[in-house]
Amino acid sequence: MADKILDVKDLVVQFNTDRGVVTAVDGVSLEVFKGRTLGIVGESGSGKSVTALAIMRLIPHPPGIIKNGVVKFRGESLLDKEMVDMRKIRGNKISMIFQEPMTSLNPVFTIGNQIEEVLELHQSDLSKEQRHKKAVEMLSLVGIPSPEKRIKEYPHQLSGGMRQRVMIAISLACEPDILIADEPTTALDVTIQAQILELMKKLQKELGMGIIMITHDLGVVAETCDDVAVMYCGKIVEQGTADHIFNNPRHPYTKGLLESIPSFDATTGDAKDRLPTIEGMVPSLFELPEGCSFQDRCSKCISQCRQPQEVLALKEVATGHAVSCFNHY
Amino acid sequence: MNIYSYTFRRLLYVIPVVLGVSLIIFVLFNLVAGDPTAILLGKHASASQMAELRHELGLDRPWLAQYFDVVRSAFTFDFGRSWSTKQEIFEMIKAGAIPSLTLSFPAFFLSTVLAIIVSLFVSFYRGGVVDRLVVFVCVALMSISSLAYILFGQWFLAYYLGLFEISGYESGFPYFIPYVLLPIIIWMVLSVGPDVRFYRTVVLDEIYQDYVRTARSKGLSERVILFKHVLKNAMIPIITYVLIKIPFLILGALLLESFFSIPGLGSITLNAINGSDFPVIKAMTILSSIAYILFSVFTDVMYCLVDPRVRLK
Ligand SMILES: Nc1ncnc2c1ncn2[C@@H]1O[C@H](COP(=O)(O)OP(=O)(O)OP(=O)(O)O)[C@@H](O)[C@H]1O
Ligand SMILES: [Mg+2]
Repeated sequence: MADKILDVKDLVVQFNTDRGVVTAVDGVSLEVFKGRTLGIVGESGSGKSVTALAIMRLIPHPPGIIKNGVVKFRGESLLDKEMVDMRKIRGNKISMIFQEPMTSLNPVFTIGNQIEEVLELHQSDLSKEQRHKKAVEMLSLVGIPSPEKRIKEYPHQLSGGMRQRVMIAISLACEPDILIADEPTTALDVTIQAQILELMKKLQKELGMGIIMITHDLGVVAETCDDVAVMYCGKIVEQGTADHIFNNPRHPYTKGLLESIPSFDATTGDAKDRLPTIEGMVPSLFELPEGCSFQDRCSKCISQCRQPQEVLALKEVATGHAVSCFNHY
Repeated sequence: MNIYSYTFRRLLYVIPVVLGVSLIIFVLFNLVAGDPTAILLGKHASASQMAELRHELGLDRPWLAQYFDVVRSAFTFDFGRSWSTKQEIFEMIKAGAIPSLTLSFPAFFLSTVLAIIVSLFVSFYRGGVVDRLVVFVCVALMSISSLAYILFGQWFLAYYLGLFEISGYESGFPYFIPYVLLPIIIWMVLSVGPDVRFYRTVVLDEIYQDYVRTARSKGLSERVILFKHVLKNAMIPIITYVLIKIPFLILGALLLESFFSIPGLGSITLNAINGSDFPVIKAMTILSSIAYILFSVFTDVMYCLVDPRVRLK
């Protein structure tokens, strides 16, 4: 297949909190390919953002620490890099867009300044005029009208959707190999959401980058992703191509997620009166049950699921499709 | 609206505020404070002596005329003469301003710069040993009475070790320097505790903002993030904190000036209070009020320059 640009293996991230140590990411392995989009789906608190931040080595320390794992970017181990070298990768080879478009830009600098800053840092051979020109180009690339005028504006003068476009412009200014988009559209309304996703797909085609698309919205996954990893309580419970996940889901959690989308009643095709939801609540990371984390919400739970978890690991059920559930061994 | 017309508009608003402040000062001094002639002449003065003095001081004129005197002095800085020394008050203040400023300006400037640098430094190492140590030292410094520093400085450093002048003042550069050194150091020791704690909180508030994470994700170094991104945002609360203190420097450092016998505005104010020299007290009150009003305008103008979100209206 296409060339693998990011390879994450057995990533473990922990946080030291007042109530003890929590393992927010527990043994996650992922692969990102050039020109393809990997979706990471899961409920709030499942460790999606922490996984992304760990790849960028942006986990706040303290309280957080990357306990274990390997992150290989084009064969180079990122976790072993000196900070100076890591900084040359951030914003340059691997960029990130955040969940909070309203607060992610610095309020006291113009957006032009904030785009040019990343160019100045990573493309120091560009002159001041060239940087300005490139910044204007980036703004028009992400679809901001009259970029020459807008470039002098401050973040508060822009709407949320416009700010997220500016974030995309910043993250793509250096033409990165990987773009990590952490719920880039969650805070935006539906029409803007569609525009932003469309834009990202278009730019991916032009620049050929690999994207990690983090979301809890399966609609977004269906629209944008080639591969999908479903996360639950810090672990990946099912992984495969979008086709595997949508048409042949194997993990009860994935099935539950799919059933709770209005347009996904595959069996009848009718609109349902009542949307099924997954019973119960996500357990606290402090009180994870022994064995499978999903056991208390799972209708297919068997006694084996409650055993300590050595045996419960991702297991391939088809080529490129893996699931961690005893029901499907 | 541009910044100039905004500043001009704000300055126009100063006029009614000064009128109001003058009214309060007039009421306080002429109506609430009672008859000053009784204090000036002592217990045994006759009624005719008191009436004569009242006439001499202009206290028998209509209230409206006396109020206008206050207003006029607020705009012309002509405060009349001191009751006790008979000097022109404006001249007294001019003479006192220089010793005060040679103490308060360097002390204020140095302590502010020092505190901002220390707080940026400890924010960089937040949560670590350095940070905790600095916070501990700040609290320790704040828990000791200012009198203890003055006595320690004057007795041990100045008298026993002979490092500084014990007290007094000599005008003219550079002769005043040995006299203001010790009070400047004591000023810095006194203000560094609360200042560092304040600036540290401000900087730490900013460090956990989302835009800092964005800056990191761009590959910027911690130094650039701190000195460019964080500092510019932190300037907004810092400006308020710094500028609001400056008007109070007008009054001089009351305690330090009197302990070190520096003939500044602080000493003038204290002497006036001790001698019931109403016109001088009134002049100092008017001056510091005007300084306060002007600096709040200045603060607002600075906001507009630093924070693009502030709209000019
Ligand atoms: N700074 C932190 N300090 C302590 N714990 C943290 C911190 N950041 C994350 N965590 C822990 O990591 C867990 C996973 O958080 P994460 O932000 O990755 O969730 P998420 O999947 O991105 O959720 P969402 O959809 O809400 O963004 C949280 O439940 C929390 O317990
Ligand atoms: Mg998140």
